[in-house]
Amino acid sequence: MNGTSENKTSGSSRELELYFGPQHLGMVGNFSITLKVEGDRILEARANPGFLHRGFEKLMEYRTWIQNFPMVCRINVIESGSMEMIYSMAVESLAQIEVPERAHYVRSIYLELCRVSSHLFGLWAYSNMLGFDTVAQWAMYHRDLILDLLEELTGGRVYNIFIWPGGVRRDFPKGFEDRIVETLHTIGSCVPDYNTAFFDNRIFYERSKGIGKITQQEAKELGATGQTLRATGLKFDIRKVAPYAAYDKVEWDVPVREDGDAYSRILVIRDEMIESVHMIFKLLEAMPQGPVYNRIPNPFKWKIPPGDTYVRCESSRGELGLYLVSDGGERPYRVHFRTPSYTNGLILLEKLLQGASIADVGNIMISLYVVAPEIDR
Amino acid sequence: MIEQLKRELEATFKGVSVTSEADRRITVVVDPLQALALLRFFKDRGFSHLALLSAVDLIDKHAFELVYVLTSYVEDTGEDAVPGELILVVKSMIPRDKPTFKSVISIYPNAEPYEREIHELFGIHFDGHPRLTPLFLERQYPIPPFRKDFDTRRYVEDVFGSIPAIGDEEG
Repeated sequence: MNGTSENKTSGSSRELELYFGPQHLGMVGNFSITLKVEGDRILEARANPGFLHRGFEKLMEYRTWIQNFPMVCRINVIESGSMEMIYSMAVESLAQIEVPERAHYVRSIYLELCRVSSHLFGLWAYSNMLGFDTVAQWAMYHRDLILDLLEELTGGRVYNIFIWPGGVRRDFPKGFEDRIVETLHTIGSCVPDYNTAFFDNRIFYERSKGIGKITQQEAKELGATGQTLRATGLKFDIRKVAPYAAYDKVEWDVPVREDGDAYSRILVIRDEMIESVHMIFKLLEAMPQGPVYNRIPNPFKWKIPPGDTYVRCESSRGELGLYLVSDGGERPYRVHFRTPSYTNGLILLEKLLQGASIADVGNIMISLYVVAPEIDR
Repeated sequence: MIEQLKRELEATFKGVSVTSEADRRITVVVDPLQALALLRFFKDRGFSHLALLSAVDLIDKHAFELVYVLTSYVEDTGEDAVPGELILVVKSMIPRDKPTFKSVISIYPNAEPYEREIHELFGIHFDGHPRLTPLFLERQYPIPPFRKDFDTRRYVEDVFGSIPAIGDEEG
């Protein structure tokens, strides 16, 4: 009972403490918020994470560099691609491993597929929460089509473990490029349907416009990244700011909106999906031939020189970073992930819920794109 | 940019060591007493985004190392603007037997949960933090879990009584 220990009631008998989640229909994932409410107005909100704390960062100190791959995927359950990428980037940076040209393209295409599937999942969560069940089912179906692609490529649907230090595990199977294009066309052809049923829908507009509004200044002050920041009009995307993989090889744009509310955030997500699909087409066209993997030392006896590194990439939710320390041994000395949901879910959420209505709690939380396992790690 | 920053730092602060690496990363090691002033200096200088606050248990050196990762939001495109790809890592060591540090919430408000987490997992106290309440863990234990001298087997025995046998591996 965290709430009672820091009791700040004004003495009014109209105030009451409300536990929102983890067993609540409006709550996504294993997360809870302690609300102090008067009527249906929220006076104060306290994020209460920890339901999914598995201590991954500590566990990783006990496993070899290569054994950690199955673990990093599980930090962000919805999008494992960027987690593999960030860990590979950190190991490559510490061990000075080069990645072949083609592997950069394969990585980018794979990461963008993961991003689209993650955004579709987010769209499912948001539309489902607002009561648009049909749209939610479409989004889930389309995500499944991408999972089929990932299954063919990597063998796994959710936890893929495809990106390794030195490149990727395998090249595209025969005819895979065509199947990517075909699948993305299938999904893309439904964008007008999505628009009619959801994005241009009056009910969606009324329900999300002006909800959870934040200014660019506040967003920057509180350390926001990702859609939350881009919905306030700032073009800040790690893929552009500090390009990695093949993101500087093709032309693409960072979608932004100006208003900083839930409506803008969801539209940024939609525009990003469309941009990602176009980017995949361009990457497929520009992709060179060649190897996709540089041999790394025997992973069972692999020692990495002492040092520390901070690497970052743009996951589907914002800036994903990793601070990795090696003491020259076979295992990491310290691992610390900077996950985008951490800032969004713990600081921004508490701030945006102040003064909001109880009916908007789920709305605000999902529009901030919070995924609980990423906070707890 | 890196050279200029280096000169400015050495002129303003005493005993600061600056190293820069190939991948656009600058590491600044600073004495704990000067750390706050240094962070304030960087914030005013354009490093407005605290990406990560981390701690490392350097048990061999009897110290904790606090690590502040700063980047910029690239809103300013002027002459002396901080390039977006530049990463600044500020490190400060504090003694292991007296793990106390000043809170940086007044400079970077998003340090709040990070300090809470480090307090819980490493047992480092942050002066001036408004709520150092537990963030993730269910039960308290004399040795915080992310310290290097935390023994997982010992913890299980102390808390749950025994460790169930699984074959013969590792005794």
